[in-house]
Amino acid sequence: MRDAIAARRVTPFVDPDVKVIIQGMTGRTGRRHSELMRAYGTRIVGGVSPGANVDAVDGVPIFKTCAEAVATTGAAASVAMVPPLAVLAAIQEAVAAGIKLIVTIAEGMPVTDAVRALETVRAAGVRWIGPSTPGLAIPGRLKLGFLPNVSLVPGPLGIMAKSGTLSYEVCHRLVGRNLGQSLWVGVGGDLVKGTRFADVLPFLLADPDTKAIVVIGEIGGSEEEELAVTMRTLNCAKPVYALIAGRTAREGVTMGHAGAMIQGNVGTIASKTDALIGAGARVFTQIRDLVDAVSNAFGSNNGR
Amino acid sequence: MILLEHDAKELLAEGGIPIPAGFLAVTSDVAPPAGLTGPWMVKAQVPVGGRGKAGGIRRAETAAELRQALDRVLGMTIKGQTVHSCRVEQAVQGMECYLSFSLDPTRGRLNVLLSTEGGVDIEAHTGKSIVLSADTAFTPDAAIEATCKLAGGIAGPSRGTLIRAAEQLIGKFFEFEATLLEVNPLFICNDGSWVAGDMKFAVDDNALVRQPRLSEFVHRRADAYPEMELKLTNGFDFIVIDPEGEIGLVTTGAGLSLQILDELAARGHNAFNFCDIRTGQLRGDPTRLIHVLKWIAAGPAVRSVLINFFAGITHLGEIAHLLVAALKAVPELRVPVTARLIGNGYDEAVAVFAAAGHPLRVEPDLDRAVDLALAPLSGARP
Repeated sequence: MRDAIAARRVTPFVDPDVKVIIQGMTGRTGRRHSELMRAYGTRIVGGVSPGANVDAVDGVPIFKTCAEAVATTGAAASVAMVPPLAVLAAIQEAVAAGIKLIVTIAEGMPVTDAVRALETVRAAGVRWIGPSTPGLAIPGRLKLGFLPNVSLVPGPLGIMAKSGTLSYEVCHRLVGRNLGQSLWVGVGGDLVKGTRFADVLPFLLADPDTKAIVVIGEIGGSEEEELAVTMRTLNCAKPVYALIAGRTAREGVTMGHAGAMIQGNVGTIASKTDALIGAGARVFTQIRDLVDAVSNAFGSNNGR
Repeated sequence: MILLEHDAKELLAEGGIPIPAGFLAVTSDVAPPAGLTGPWMVKAQVPVGGRGKAGGIRRAETAAELRQALDRVLGMTIKGQTVHSCRVEQAVQGMECYLSFSLDPTRGRLNVLLSTEGGVDIEAHTGKSIVLSADTAFTPDAAIEATCKLAGGIAGPSRGTLIRAAEQLIGKFFEFEATLLEVNPLFICNDGSWVAGDMKFAVDDNALVRQPRLSEFVHRRADAYPEMELKLTNGFDFIVIDPEGEIGLVTTGAGLSLQILDELAARGHNAFNFCDIRTGQLRGDPTRLIHVLKWIAAGPAVRSVLINFFAGITHLGEIAHLLVAALKAVPELRVPVTARLIGNGYDEAVAVFAAAGHPLRVEPDLDRAVDLALAPLSGARP
């Protein structure tokens, strides 16, 4: 009971009614995804496009700068739909304008830029999701990015994923067992990123709508190992199911995602699996085994 | 990407980093260049750790021993990677130290490790007193300051040499947007000079587009970095996993493609390739699909092709038209094709394939699609 009260006092990961601006809204990608996000229910109140000579796109006002957009609309979140080499500047501009949550979807942001961006958001207390992420969603309420509707259904699972497509697949199959999501955060497949698994965990543990946690990890880096440490520190009482891809990857070869590379003894499947199992998670190598395990845990009422 | 030791040394030597004189050997039938006398070190060029322990680094005193060493190392397999080339270089005498700079991705900082006792087993000593470590802001100035402070704990004349080496190496680390630069052993010679004995150099893939020297290197040494060269040239990922693999993959999304490789391996089959074609970037052009189908068709053992597109945004009808065009453009691909498609426009995609008359099987469920794709293979088991 006291836990439940404490949980309610915790700030949610994201306010589902947050006002959102889109940086790069007049571009091909920005325009298309803005339309899809709006259709999903996201409150898009403005776009930013320094070079565009239009006042509005689909009825949404376009501003020259983030500062102007934020001052006029009161937006607190931004989705940056800009090319990889422009992401750092977009983050710096959004943070300076007072944005509190920024999602950057572009793949290919240089690591040096990501380090600078990390310094910027940390100094300002801003939450950054990305780079190289399909974004995040509270199914049925809010979508920041382009998670596919076919996999998004409200439900009891908190999702954290490095990979977009693998999380689409896993969640789609879980939806097929009547298991949707409470919160879905794509942390992205890069080495240096704004939000890591361990940063999301406290919110999922505090969220009364989240009954179990699904982690979609992969080889490379130490994010899964860090998550295991945080699970122990926070006495993680919710069941954690993890899938880790990359068993067949060769050492020293980048497997699609910039962060997905085994380097010496860092980033191996064995290290991640051992750490997560040691912290109480169940770790799977095949999608269907994870889906069966989660489904069985929730009982027959969600089965087909 | 991790540069091979030979490439890292040649690249950094151009910028003034001292390295042992040497050359790259791809056969044991070599005559060292004039003036390059033994003893030599023969070093396997594969981008993995533990080469020494695996027998991939050998010392040779005479020309005969050099050929023998090359015979033993060339063609050997270290952690699943075949050794196609060796760096042969003059053995160096000196005090063996260790110096490394690495990105801490979690904290966005730089780790500095320094030791006056270098050698193969440095990892075993990390955390012990003989390895000095510091972490610092991710800038050249902060890195130099931190290294100087660490070196303050070292007695004797080697301190000045180590600081000079660190300044040079830090310059290169940031110039090439590296994530790791490790020199072990770093030899300090009697005359106070230093030489990079061995080197591990990893650079940021994402920065290659603004690193002309590095990307030029990747193109010039395409045979050593086929995956990266292909990505720079074509804008997507295609990696040959098993040259004898029987199943070719046309897939999108790095994580799901990786997972499909794992699931095939769990069922006893190595895929020919990994692929992240990025359907969202096709934009009505079948060129990428044609490339991938041609590369797969060139796989000598390929007997089946599995396409997997989980289309979050892209319309499957549009993808089906592109696939039909691509299959038509690669008539040399004569093996059964299974397409696992899911997302918007599934029915339209099925209709497009039916109208085109291609005997391709379409299936919305991934596990069933894998079953279908494995069926034509030798020794297939459920």
